[in-house]
Amino acid sequence: MADGGRTIGVVGSGIAGLRAAKALLTCGVDAEVVIFGDEAHRTYNRPGLTKRPYPPPGAPGTAMAEDLEVAGLDDDALTWRLGTGVDTADLRDKVLHLSTGETFDYDGLVIASGVRARTSTGGSGGSHPRRTLRGLDDAQHIHDELRASGKVTIAGAGFVACELASLAGKYGCEVVMLESPRRGPFRGLLGKRISIALRRWFARHGVTFLPGDPEPSPDRSLFVEAIGSVPNTEWLRGNGLDLSDGVRVDARMRVPGHEDVFAAGDVARYPDPWAAGRLTRIELWKNAIDTGDLAGRSLAASLGRGAGKPRLGYFPNTTSEVFGLRIQVAGNPKASDAAEVVRGDPDHPDRGVLVRFLRGGVAVGVAYLDEGARFNSTYIELLRSLKADPAGAVAAG
Amino acid sequence: MRILVDRVRCQNHGQCAISAPTNFELDADGELRYRESFDDEDASDIEDAVDSCPVQAITLDSDG
Ligand SMILES: Cc1cc2nc3c(=O)[nH]c(=O)nc-3n(C[C@H](O)[C@H](O)[C@H](O)COP(=O)(O)OP(=O)(O)OC[C@H]3O[C@@H](n4cnc5c(N)ncnc54)[C@H](O)[C@@H]3O)c2cc1C
Ligand code: SF4
Repeated sequence: MADGGRTIGVVGSGIAGLRAAKALLTCGVDAEVVIFGDEAHRTYNRPGLTKRPYPPPGAPGTAMAEDLEVAGLDDDALTWRLGTGVDTADLRDKVLHLSTGETFDYDGLVIASGVRARTSTGGSGGSHPRRTLRGLDDAQHIHDELRASGKVTIAGAGFVACELASLAGKYGCEVVMLESPRRGPFRGLLGKRISIALRRWFARHGVTFLPGDPEPSPDRSLFVEAIGSVPNTEWLRGNGLDLSDGVRVDARMRVPGHEDVFAAGDVARYPDPWAAGRLTRIELWKNAIDTGDLAGRSLAASLGRGAGKPRLGYFPNTTSEVFGLRIQVAGNPKASDAAEVVRGDPDHPDRGVLVRFLRGGVAVGVAYLDEGARFNSTYIELLRSLKADPAGAVAAG
Repeated sequence: MRILVDRVRCQNHGQCAISAPTNFELDADGELRYRESFDDEDASDIEDAVDSCPVQAITLDSDG
């Protein structure tokens, strides 16, 4: 126990929670930092769950759990309470109620509970087990099945669904993707034309598309639903917070009305630095790192330690690889009302296509698809011009 | 400090090239090329690149 006798609770043992805890320690706060996680594992690299088969080719003997460990976890100043969920929180009396029946009094709180996979039935339901893919345990099971079963049916059309299809292909599985009307791969993000080309790319790599609702196939083979996510905020109910889409915070990740409560990562909805007056909630690894750092520093500053970074200097961007095709997206294409092709041919993304997304004539996002990297430097230039011109993004918002 | 990229892990996502183009770039085939040494003034970009890699392929090695 620290001499000050203060305690800080971090709810969520993902990367946002870990980075918040690390930032607190780096700032030299005089407190015991306790991380609660309902998963049994210490922080691991969640994006890695769908990036390659295990053991990977060229590295026999590599097991997933060890391979995905995040480095630098054994800091004596951190207390881990794994396999322990926080059931409810009373923010007025500053106490957490744990799944073990215990209570935990805190002086400062970081909410980093992330999101979970959405399900069509709101749970188990149906005669056939549906799987979702969010945690390490889910992923272990799915990898084992892919290695053994030879067939997978996937509902969904976003990043996780598409990466899973590609992963299953690497395991040599037969892949079926269920399509609801107007929902081809990445259609919601990249638009119809690119989605149709991607569908062709997937089909060329052996994926079968079937129309249909997320209903498991009758043959009882592996069925995975990857149809989006739901913020984990139920445990915060009853405190009068705005939980309409995650946890609302200010630009320093502080929960309004609560001096000592901060939120970060996938669960946090914060003022969009690139669109004045708008809030954003971003489910990306780097966002969880940066907002986690910021929440930790802001909490430290509220305890008189270190200085809170004024704002996030980061621009959302991510990369995915499906059947050998790199898909890079930056900014917020979803906010656009028009798109223009800068380079290449959207009907042949494997040969490289670079698209700029506009809103009211101003660029708000860029996407780049390619099997190689022909236009990569142009993509980075476009991304930088997006980044250098937040005023444009604000005007567009 | 020296930059090390684990080639078995790296999937040529190119996120590092966005964070720190002075040290990382993708060639025309999409393969990562990088320079191991960096200047102090680029240190924060390099840290950003380490964080940005979705498969944690980049580490910093203190000898060198
Ligand atoms: C398959 C997959 C692939 C991905 N690929 C990429 C990628 O390539 N690039 C990218 O940028 N992003 C990717 N992401 C997104 C990225 O992983 C997330 O943005 C990031 O992990 C979010 O971190 P977090 O700490 O905010 O939340 P999480 O990692 O979700 O951590 C929250 C933790 O809190 C726990 N928890 C929740 N409620 C409670 C409670 N009440 N009590 C105790 N514990 C609780 C949860 O079980 C979880 O362990 C991917 C995600 C998935 C699922
Ligand atoms: S971000 Fe990581 S995976 Fe991507 S090219 Fe750089 S080192 Fe490789």
